[in-house]
Amino acid sequence: MKVVHDWLKEYIGDEAPTATEIAELLTFHSFEIEEVVSVGEDDVIDVDVLPNRSADCLSHRGIAREISTLTGKSLVYDPLATKPEMSETNKLKITIENAEACRHFDLALITGVTVKESPEWLQRRLKAIGQRSINNVVDATNYVMFGLGQPTHVYDADKFLKDGDVWHFGVRLAKGGETVTTLGGDEYQVDETIQVITNEADGSYVGLAGIKGGAHAELDGKTTNIILEAGNFAPSLTRKASQKLRLQTDASKRFENGVSTNIILYAIAELTRLILEIAGGELEGYAHARPVDINNQSVSVTLSHMNALLGLTLIEGEVEDIFERVGFVYTKTAEGAWEVTASFERTDITIAEDVIEEVGRIYGYDKVVSVVPEAVPVVEYNHRHYYSELVRDVLVANGFSEVITSSFRKKDQIQLLNALASDKSYMRSSLIKNITESLDKNAAFTDLLGAEDTRVFEIGTVFTKDEDTVKEHMSLSFGVRLKPSGYSGKEDKVLQGIVTALQEALGVDINPALEKGVAEIDFSNIISSLPPVTGYDSVAVAEEISYKAFSSYPSMSRDIALWVTEGTTAEEVMQVLGEHSGELCVRTSLFDEFTKDGRTSLAFRLVFQAPDRTLTDEEVNAIMESIYKVAAGKDWDVR
Amino acid sequence: MQKGHRHPLSHMIAEINRIFSGLGFVFAEGPEAETEHYNFDMLNVPKDHPARDMQDTFWFKDSDVSEPTVLRTHTSPVQARYMESHEPPIRVIVPGKVFRNESTDATHEAQFYQLEGLYVDKGVHLGHLKGTIEYFFSKFFGGETEVRFRPSFFPFVEPGVEVDMMLKGSDSKLANKWIEVMGAGMVHPNVLKEAGIDAEKFSGFAFGMGIDRLAVMKYGIEDVRDLYTGDLRFVNQF
Repeated sequence: MKVVHDWLKEYIGDEAPTATEIAELLTFHSFEIEEVVSVGEDDVIDVDVLPNRSADCLSHRGIAREISTLTGKSLVYDPLATKPEMSETNKLKITIENAEACRHFDLALITGVTVKESPEWLQRRLKAIGQRSINNVVDATNYVMFGLGQPTHVYDADKFLKDGDVWHFGVRLAKGGETVTTLGGDEYQVDETIQVITNEADGSYVGLAGIKGGAHAELDGKTTNIILEAGNFAPSLTRKASQKLRLQTDASKRFENGVSTNIILYAIAELTRLILEIAGGELEGYAHARPVDINNQSVSVTLSHMNALLGLTLIEGEVEDIFERVGFVYTKTAEGAWEVTASFERTDITIAEDVIEEVGRIYGYDKVVSVVPEAVPVVEYNHRHYYSELVRDVLVANGFSEVITSSFRKKDQIQLLNALASDKSYMRSSLIKNITESLDKNAAFTDLLGAEDTRVFEIGTVFTKDEDTVKEHMSLSFGVRLKPSGYSGKEDKVLQGIVTALQEALGVDINPALEKGVAEIDFSNIISSLPPVTGYDSVAVAEEISYKAFSSYPSMSRDIALWVTEGTTAEEVMQVLGEHSGELCVRTSLFDEFTKDGRTSLAFRLVFQAPDRTLTDEEVNAIMESIYKVAAGKDWDVR
Repeated sequence: MQKGHRHPLSHMIAEINRIFSGLGFVFAEGPEAETEHYNFDMLNVPKDHPARDMQDTFWFKDSDVSEPTVLRTHTSPVQARYMESHEPPIRVIVPGKVFRNESTDATHEAQFYQLEGLYVDKGVHLGHLKGTIEYFFSKFFGGETEVRFRPSFFPFVEPGVEVDMMLKGSDSKLANKWIEVMGAGMVHPNVLKEAGIDAEKFSGFAFGMGIDRLAVMKYGIEDVRDLYTGDLRFVNQF
């Protein structure tokens, strides 16, 4: 919700805190602030209104009221303060089909208006929140929506077919196959799940209830007689309709979250007042249909409950001061509890904890003192975690690195109803494919990682279909790849050794399924046969880790073998290589060493990689040439 | 034989468990394919809440399940399951994988790890929540940390707060600035009641945070998706 500072001043007065002060106050007591920006001469605060406060705070008046609560200073102008006097007219008629779907519906008839440009102040305020100025009357409807939180709509009365001598509006669920053309000319297909506003004279659809007004009877420069409309529409129905039509509007956003049924008469009165002020004309009167009233009930809350939940030591006077600031009406019962009723626009206060939260946040959560609960012994140990840690220890000691891969697959047993992407629409039933893919990918990095071969494992949930239900269990899978070129056939023997090591550690046979160098077992099943856990092993302190984003460009390896005089160490040579191989050399490792006839042969593998591009052979060869020259200068013979 | 490497999430979960078990918190867990009942109903999430929509939550097909089932969107259903089967005092943490049907980027994955915490007893209050979180972060980041609350809203807590933390006086990049780390609050009485706990007698706090986010903070990981690619160029740095 974008809030214009100057607009807030209409309610708060000229003594209003600055935009920055308001942002600070709201951040710690009410809502997160997205940003404070300047639009022309105006400061605009973008407030992230919480969903439970949409009813009152998706409006300038609501935010102003919130600031008034926090500063303890009353509003200088509050359009919700006094219930407006409303004269009725018999020229307007309303028929509501479903009271639960449309709780209130109000109309007003104004004659003799002049449609023209809006006054400068109104244009400026709307512009500051990103709204285009249309004309004075339409701008007034927007102003009231962003001012009070109640969406409204306006029709040219002379273009709206009369039913005899009355204008007859209906609110009903649409029939299938019909369309509604909204303001701006877009056409929407409606059905029986979508509520529409109708002209009962001919049954035509003139608007999408709670979402967008229709193009029917749209205002133009010649318009003089207008009908104002304000409704209160059911949240769930509005949300579903807005989704189905793929049409989210400032109006639908408000109805989805619920607008107080009581605000409507204040809003239509305020809209009338504003139009008479900026467009002239005369009010003929109002029509109201109010089948359902939703009023706030009182909530019972005690001081002891409040302090017990907040961890504070508030006294009665402090709490009652907050009640008064926030506009709660309260009485004290004989038992000492408060009976608290929130003002009508606050639809979020329904249980004691809601009142407690109000007191806590307004008083300030910074006053909550930290208390660390006294330590108690652990009453249960997690078998799965304990034995997973044990397995990790064994596998890591045997050169395996742990991966956590996607739970989604392109094809498997169980397909989701709604997938993220076509290659992620099934749940994995096994880890074998994931481990195989991880081996395929990582085998290419053997040199880069300075590894002799590639070994990975995963412990993770897999999902299988079992009659009428989805079963899940923890699976353990581990795989080996000896050659980057692919499965060589010798991997299964390595795996057998690992299986033995795991069996020794766990004390049971695990009999894994083996598939081309990858083993998998039902780990949940194994764990169920293992003895109960009576304590956790201490966690090894992780070495200081300094993570660096890795390059996703391919690496290139070059081997160099040198004859050096006996006594020249590999470290010395490695240091020289390091000095001349440059930044692109990311790893140098000794892979062969032997001595013959008083000379030592050292073989090194140098791995080159750039952070930002694929290296060319020429680049790497040039580096190697310079290394050969240095070696020659040292009397090292390149083999 | 060169040693392999544990995944950073495993490092962190073991460390999280070590810290919390020191206070007596039990490492609890629950299914990843969770019923709508536990994922939403038991947690006071209204029937027509947008979180239940297809665009936010992965659903299983009716033909595959006997009751409406989702890939759990948070670790909170384990709160409800644990409270149903245990009497207070209850202290649990739930580190586990969760799923959201949303587009992915450097800070979002469709699958990620969350850490849930729950403490239910007589007289549990917001101060215990603050103290517990401060205790955890101080140990986890190895330095004094301060925590602050800002008002927030989640259907399963009341009051609900957003938690910011600040690591004090260390030379880490994170030090001396407020970082938003989790949502938390006092367990909503409806959640206690639904799980069979007398809300007049007991109160509790709950919190939930992304472990992936902790990884970003602790290790400086730039793209959370790297956690799930099975790429050893990433894992072998840990």
